[in-house]
Amino acid sequence: MTSPFRIRRVASIARKEVFHILRDPFTLAMALLLPAILVAIFGLAIEFNMRDVSVAVYDADRSPESRGLLRAFSSSGYFRLKGFAAASETLRELDGDRAKAALIIPPRFGHELGAGREGLTQVLVDGADNSTVGVILGYLRGVQAVAASELLGKPPQPAAIQFRTRFLFNPELNSRWFVVPGLIAVVVAILSILLTAMTVAREWETGSMELLLSTPVHPIEIILGKLAPYIVLDLAAVVFVYLIARAGFEIPFRGSHFVFLIGTLLFISTYLAQGLLISVVTRKQQLAMQFAIVSGLLPTLLLSGFIFPITSMPVFFQYFTSILPAKWFMMISRDVFLKGAGFSELAVPFLALIFLNLFLVSVATRRFKKDVEP
Amino acid sequence: MAADYAESINSVEVRNLTVKFGEFTAVDDVSFSVRRGEIFGFLGANGAGKTTTIRVLCGLLIPDQGEVQVAGVDLKADAEAIKRKVGYMSQRFTLYDDLTVRENLAFAAALRKISPEQLRLRTEELFGFTGFDRSVNSLVRDLPGGIKQQVSLIAALLHQPEIVFLDEPTSGVTPAARLRFWELIRSLSKNGKTVFVTTHYMDEADQCDRIALMRAGRISALDTPEGLKQSSFPEPIYELELPEGDHQAQAAQVAMLQKVNGVGRLQPHGMRFHFTLTHSGLEEGVRDLLPETAVLRRIKPSLEDVFIRVVEAREGGGEA
Repeated sequence: MTSPFRIRRVASIARKEVFHILRDPFTLAMALLLPAILVAIFGLAIEFNMRDVSVAVYDADRSPESRGLLRAFSSSGYFRLKGFAAASETLRELDGDRAKAALIIPPRFGHELGAGREGLTQVLVDGADNSTVGVILGYLRGVQAVAASELLGKPPQPAAIQFRTRFLFNPELNSRWFVVPGLIAVVVAILSILLTAMTVAREWETGSMELLLSTPVHPIEIILGKLAPYIVLDLAAVVFVYLIARAGFEIPFRGSHFVFLIGTLLFISTYLAQGLLISVVTRKQQLAMQFAIVSGLLPTLLLSGFIFPITSMPVFFQYFTSILPAKWFMMISRDVFLKGAGFSELAVPFLALIFLNLFLVSVATRRFKKDVEP
Repeated sequence: MAADYAESINSVEVRNLTVKFGEFTAVDDVSFSVRRGEIFGFLGANGAGKTTTIRVLCGLLIPDQGEVQVAGVDLKADAEAIKRKVGYMSQRFTLYDDLTVRENLAFAAALRKISPEQLRLRTEELFGFTGFDRSVNSLVRDLPGGIKQQVSLIAALLHQPEIVFLDEPTSGVTPAARLRFWELIRSLSKNGKTVFVTTHYMDEADQCDRIALMRAGRISALDTPEGLKQSSFPEPIYELELPEGDHQAQAAQVAMLQKVNGVGRLQPHGMRFHFTLTHSGLEEGVRDLLPETAVLRRIKPSLEDVFIRVVEAREGGGEA
């Protein structure tokens, strides 16, 4: 015989938790400032796009054609050209880190082109910073295509195969469009896993859990009461990031808000369960925090595809990341935002997230019940 | 069962209680009963099994073996009902430091289904009872230890429990606050509540109606403080104060006295020694052996003497 579930007890525990949050500067800062700081860091400061890449140029040809090529480069907006009198000088620029790339146009470049042969140019790219190489090469190819059609008028003969690249969903390849919807996962990871793990661990650590259990309160009432304020904080943070994304960064939201809400709720409850599990296992705030960072925060930042694409990870990690709820939510968030995807397109991420959710919720509640039951 | 309980004089009945944590036996086949309205003390060192027993009695731990009835309710049948009838003040945690007195009490009340109106009446009554005179809006962390204990007691009494379990309620508070707290315990008992208290302070144990000496998960002795003293020390007990000064001379005198027939083992108590004589007729002979400046007087045994003797008897018996 147990006493019936009472919502009033849940409400009192939630109210007490709100006092804890309001009176603890660390939790309060985590809850309120962190989403804003993350948006500032990832939305504003980190820029994956390249503008004004400095290029050292040695034009040995000085023909109309070579000038046309250079014009194509500088008018693209991606490159800032600086001319030099010798090939060796451009290399010195590269060595001195004053240029990211060097462009060397050999003599007779125009002549060869005019004769209908290949116009060869040499491009040297600073490979030390490999995150920028790919981007620079991509831009170079784009410019090359433009220059070719400009210099030769129309392509002399239609090429057998032509690539006409058009970037869908994010035509400008604006990295913010990619990063900000993913930020929601990171913010939820902090609020749900880190703060929840710490607050429940605190009740164990101080011994107050025992005092709670010495009253007729239900374990499930304790958990719901403890988690309720964090669910509210989570939702508020999601709305905050959403508004910043829409109004601040003008990121389109092409999908359905309902699909997005369901995905978000699934994700939040999955991470809350993970936080609860950590707190029950560790029972110490310090340890809970370390566990939460290693098992929750870092994978969300590094392995979920938030910044580093999963497809470019080693094969093992491509599979391993499938156990991370953040990976699936990252897909849902981005695809709903940018592609307007619905349940049918997102069936796999949704099913995976539901599976992980059921798994973590059942393990966490079972473990918690086992621990608190006499 | 309710009718039985109304007639029963015991509010707690424990038979053959055993609690194990893995290989470790925390409570080993313990039986005792607590009478209604009495102050029942558990005296023992840390790790003796006091807290574990209390946790069982509060419905927080299911024992491996044994019958437990608290306030007429069988623990196996309905641990929840026990939780409604008892108040518990734990040793480690008492109140949330970052909440005010009012918030802490309101929280405790909400968990216990006490309406705000009842809460107001009860806190007024209990503030009067405990002499709490601080602001209810002060944060608990700003209160001195003694006041915190008062508020914790109030929180444990809000739902008018029949039995109050106090697990080392006075650890870490000033001696003056301890005295005041024990006055509260006595008036609780006068008002008909059963108070079950653990302590490792001998002077506190002396104020209980009955005490159980606990050691290594077992009850070594259980009686009133007077009864324990008489049964442990049927022979007269003396206190010896040797003249200050030469330690070697002191040690020699102690060693010499220890060899005399009929003299029990000399137990150091601060600067003095306690020992027994098989009968008071030996007193004159002992006095003649001592220097004139030595003070020898017959005393009543303290609980500390009892505790040492009981523990020694156990350990001696165990090794033999």
